[in-house]
Amino acid sequence: MSNRKKWFSLDLGPHNKKKSSGNCGCSNPQGSCDSGPEKEELNAEEFYEAAINASIGDERRKDGFDQVFDVQMDRRDAFKKLTASLLIGAGAISSCTSVIQDPDSKEKAQIDWEEQFKGNYKLMTDEEKKQTVDRLMRSYELRTGKNISMSSKNAEEDVLFGYAFNISKCQGYMDCVSACVEENNQDRKSQMQYIRIHEMKDGKGFNFNEADDNYYHEVPAEGHFYMGTQCFHCDNPPCVDVCPVQATWKEEDGLVVIDYDWCVGCRYCMAACPYDGRRFNWSKPEVPENEINKNQHYLGNRMRKKGVMEKCTFCVQRSRKGKNPACVEACPTGARIFGNLLDPNSTIRWVLENKKVFRLKEDLGTEPKFWYFMD
Amino acid sequence: MLLFAVSFVSCKQDGEYHTITDKIEADQKPYHGDLSSEELLAGTELIQITEGEHTFLIPERKGQIKSYACIECHSKPLNEMKGANGQKAHWDLKINHAAIETMDCATCHNPDNMNNLKSLTGKDIDINLSYKLCAQCHSKQFEDWKGGAHGKKVAGWAPPRASMTCVNCHNPHNPGFETRWPAQFNTQKVEERKDGLGH
Ligand code: SF4
Ligand code: SF4
Repeated sequence: MSNRKKWFSLDLGPHNKKKSSGNCGCSNPQGSCDSGPEKEELNAEEFYEAAINASIGDERRKDGFDQVFDVQMDRRDAFKKLTASLLIGAGAISSCTSVIQDPDSKEKAQIDWEEQFKGNYKLMTDEEKKQTVDRLMRSYELRTGKNISMSSKNAEEDVLFGYAFNISKCQGYMDCVSACVEENNQDRKSQMQYIRIHEMKDGKGFNFNEADDNYYHEVPAEGHFYMGTQCFHCDNPPCVDVCPVQATWKEEDGLVVIDYDWCVGCRYCMAACPYDGRRFNWSKPEVPENEINKNQHYLGNRMRKKGVMEKCTFCVQRSRKGKNPACVEACPTGARIFGNLLDPNSTIRWVLENKKVFRLKEDLGTEPKFWYFMD
Repeated sequence: MLLFAVSFVSCKQDGEYHTITDKIEADQKPYHGDLSSEELLAGTELIQITEGEHTFLIPERKGQIKSYACIECHSKPLNEMKGANGQKAHWDLKINHAAIETMDCATCHNPDNMNNLKSLTGKDIDINLSYKLCAQCHSKQFEDWKGGAHGKKVAGWAPPRASMTCVNCHNPHNPGFETRWPAQFNTQKVEERKDGLGH
C-alpha cells in the first residue's frame, strides 16, 4: 500500500546531485562554477516539455472536456510556473551559476510539487492524509513564518451527525453567522456566509421568496419569525452525485465535505443543491492574518483559493473533537441543537422523537440531516 | 410472494437505506466511543441531577453568586433589616417577571431563610437546583429542557451530557430576551442584489 502513493515525489536528493556533479561538481552550495552545462542535459524549455508530457500527457490531447473548461491551458500554465519555481528552488537548472540552493525554497518547491500532484483526499490512506496535512502546515510555516494546526482526523465510528433548529426560539440575532465566518475563515472581502437567517412574516408560511435574509433593524421584529438555513448534510446528497471529479462526498459520520484541491470549480454541485447550501469563491478569499483561525481540518476551515467551492461542514474541525459547531455554541437562544443521531441517549434524538419535526423539501428524497421544530 | 420479497429487499441495498430514519434505527447504539466532552468541561463545576428518566450534569450555582451565602448579610429577618440604618443592597434589581398579582420577591425567596429558595408551597429549594423553582410554572419548557430541546449544552455534543440550567441564560428577575441589532449586515449582498447578481 505504502509504495502506491497518491502523489508524485520529485527526487531532489542524491539522484539529482549525481547528475550535476558529473559536469561541475558544485559541492559548495553557494559557490559558482565555471564549467559550462553539459550538452546532453536538457535545457529549461526541454525540461518543461518532458515534464509536462510525463505528468499531464493525456490532458494535452484536446477533448470535449478541455474545450469547455480549458483545463489543458490552466493546468499547463500552472505547471510551467511551478516547474520554474521548482527548478530555481532545487537548483536543477543546468547552469550552476544561476543556482540558488537555499534549503527553504528547495523545500518549498518540493512541497509545491507534491501538492500539485497529490491525489484525491478521499482515496488517501491515513498515512497519506497525515503527510498531506503535515506538508500543508510546513508550507504555511515556510511562507508566513507562522504555525497552524491542521487535522486529518477521520470520521469516528458509531457517529452520525445531525442538527435541529428551533424556529420558535430563533430571534434573528445572527450571532451564529458571525461565529461561523470567524471559525471557518470565510472570505471577508466578498462577505461569504454559509448560514442565512431568513426573516419571515407571520401568517405567510415558509415563503422564502418573500423572506429577507439580509435585514438590518432591531430584532426580533414585530410580526416576524426567523429561520436559519445552511448545508443540511443530506444523506442522499444530489450535490455529490453531479460532481464530475468526485471532489465532494459524504463521509462516514454523515458530513458532506469538499477537497478544495480536487475541486475544479465547475459549480455543478451548486446548481444541484436544492437548499442554496454551497458557496463559490469568485475571487481569492481574504482573511486578515490576525483573524485566521489556525485550528484547522483538511476538509474544513483550512484556507481556500479562488475558483473552488466551499460550504458548511458542521465545523468538522470541532465536531470530530466532540465539540459543537461554532453556530451552536454562539447562539444565545438555544435554537440550535447538534449531536449524534446514532446515540439513542443523545439530545438530538430526543428532539426527533418528541417534537414535531420536519425538513425542507422532504419530497425530493435528499434526506437532509437538518430538522426544524417548534416549541 | 416473490414480488413482495423483492420489493422488501430493495429498501436496503449494500448498506444503503431508504431513509435516514431507517438508517438510524438499524445502526443505533449508545455511544461509548473515543470522543468525550470531559476535557471541555474540566474547568466547570458541575452537579449531577436526575429528573424522571433523564440524568445529566448542570453547572453548580452557589459558587457563581458573588454574595452567597446570603445569611452573611441576611442575619436577621427582612423586616428588621429595613429602615434608614440598613445598608442598601440589591438596589439595582428590577423585577420584570410576570405580573405583580402573580409574583413578587417572596414567591421565590423566603425572608426567614435567605440561603434557600422557596417553592409555591413553602418548601425549601436549593439554589443549585433553582430549575425546580422555574419548573413550577414553566412545565412545558421543563419537559423540553430535560429532553434537551430547550436550552444549551455547557460544552460539546459528546457524552457526558452537561446542560446549562435556566439561570445560565435567563436572568430570573428579568427572564425575557431583549430586542437588539443583528450581529451582521452583509453590505456585499446588497450590492450584488442591486446589480441583479444575487438570487
Ligand atoms: S444541502 Fe445542498 S450542499 Fe448540503 S448536502 Fe444537501 S444538496 Fe449538498
Ligand atoms: S464545483 Fe467542485 S465540488 Fe462542485 S461539482 Fe464542480 S468540481 Fe465538484
